[in-house]
Amino acid sequence: MIRLEHVSKSYRTSTRPALDDVTVEVEKGEFAFLIGPSGSGKSTLLRLLLREELPSKGDVYVADLNVSKLSQRRIPQLRQRVGCVFQDFRLLGNKTVSENVAFALEVIGKPRHTIRKVVPEVLELVGLEGKADRMPHELSGGEQQRVAIARAFVNRPLVLLADEPTGNLDRDISHEIMLLLERINRTGTTVLMATHDHAIVDSMRRRVVELHLGQVVRDESRGVYGVGR
Amino acid sequence: MRASFVFGEVATGLRRNVTMTVAMILTTAISLGLLGGGLLVVRTIDRMEQDYYQRVETVVYLSADISANDPNCTSSTCATLRGQLESTPGVQSVIFESRQAAFARFQRIFQGQPELLQLARPEALPASLRVQLADPARFPSIAKAFTGRPGVDRVTDQGEYLRQLFRALNGLRNATFVVALIQALAALLLISNTIQLSAFTRRTEVGVMRLTGASRWYTQLPFLLEAVVAGVVGAVLAIVGLVIGKVAFVDRVLAGVFEAAIVPRLGYADIFSVAPILIVVGAVVAALTGYLTLRLYVRI
Repeated sequence: MIRLEHVSKSYRTSTRPALDDVTVEVEKGEFAFLIGPSGSGKSTLLRLLLREELPSKGDVYVADLNVSKLSQRRIPQLRQRVGCVFQDFRLLGNKTVSENVAFALEVIGKPRHTIRKVVPEVLELVGLEGKADRMPHELSGGEQQRVAIARAFVNRPLVLLADEPTGNLDRDISHEIMLLLERINRTGTTVLMATHDHAIVDSMRRRVVELHLGQVVRDESRGVYGVGR
Repeated sequence: MRASFVFGEVATGLRRNVTMTVAMILTTAISLGLLGGGLLVVRTIDRMEQDYYQRVETVVYLSADISANDPNCTSSTCATLRGQLESTPGVQSVIFESRQAAFARFQRIFQGQPELLQLARPEALPASLRVQLADPARFPSIAKAFTGRPGVDRVTDQGEYLRQLFRALNGLRNATFVVALIQALAALLLISNTIQLSAFTRRTEVGVMRLTGASRWYTQLPFLLEAVVAGVVGAVLAIVGLVIGKVAFVDRVLAGVFEAAIVPRLGYADIFSVAPILIVVGAVVAALTGYLTLRLYVRI
């Protein structure tokens, strides 16, 4: 589902490459953590998968698309197959919970009757069925992240990318968010999550890909955070 | 594409940056108003030119001999000249004006100045053949063909005086266009700025749109339409401004000039024939500026 082949990425402003000859594959339906200290290249890797950046070298494949060779016109096709969630939620403050989720479908031109049917379903899946008409600022951090996850998942993407989704949340809430991501993973969606959170990685015992200075230094199928360095 | 969604976004954008939107609309209105004014000046000058040139004549002044001795253009020299002028292509009519007729016209023109009339003698005025040309621009070829012929004193073109007048009027028109152009530049920069600001205030929306796979068009269309709406509203204000300008200024100040038929009257039909040009220019320029701004500054 996700494949990077000898991918390097250098920025003009830095002498050291952000990613250095990275080869990684994540299978369909897999749940994988991407760990490593700040500056290790986690966010760069996620940006390459979304075609926010182009690799300096190597090929990137996501959901059967060769991302590095994708034309500008076809980038939306890729992004409709990939949902993403961020540490800062990125909700629209002037829209209600259900409008925020519906927005993701409206902007890709889905018909209104589909939106009316799908949005309540996904809000139920993330446990926000009673809060459809609330504004984002009326919700707790955990609830806001649920809205963001609902928005990322509402178009049933093949891949869900999560960049530090629990970075702003306390431990209990983080745990709930992880349960939600696990539930989404069980529907067949491949999940790749970049994180710093030791406790979560250790408790989940899923595949761990560790980056250090832009290189993959560890890839374990049921890993924990701190071992191997 | 869902039209209601796109128009909803446009309305939100215009409302959120209301001060910038108003500035953008007003600047566009002023520059389009000046452009419209320039176009109206052009129309008026064109009509004046047509009008005046139809009235001007090429005059072939005849020699002193003919002027003194041939009051009906019956001498062979005069009749030949007349015949040749009549058969020259592009000549509409040739009228002989004898010395007496010229003096009578002189008296008519200067009847308000008796001292001048007292001094004037018919002998001072030559007889002439007054030639009406279908195309006044043909004057040089007529002048060339007839200057120096027996019986011809000189050939003059009344159009020369008009050309000097119209040179001055065209200068006025060009000045209007230069001011309109400078204003248009200001309007373009403001439109560009407003779109950037609009995109910046909605960066979260744009970011979400990008990441959820909205097409470039879907993401940019609301911004583009904002610019077009401002351009069209600006054009409508400019048209209203031209109408007010006509009623409150042109019609009053130039009433005498219109009465005397020196300048053709500026009608509502003139303004409304310029109006579609202003609307199209407003919309197209705004759309192009918007498109280029989004291409250059807004990452999609």
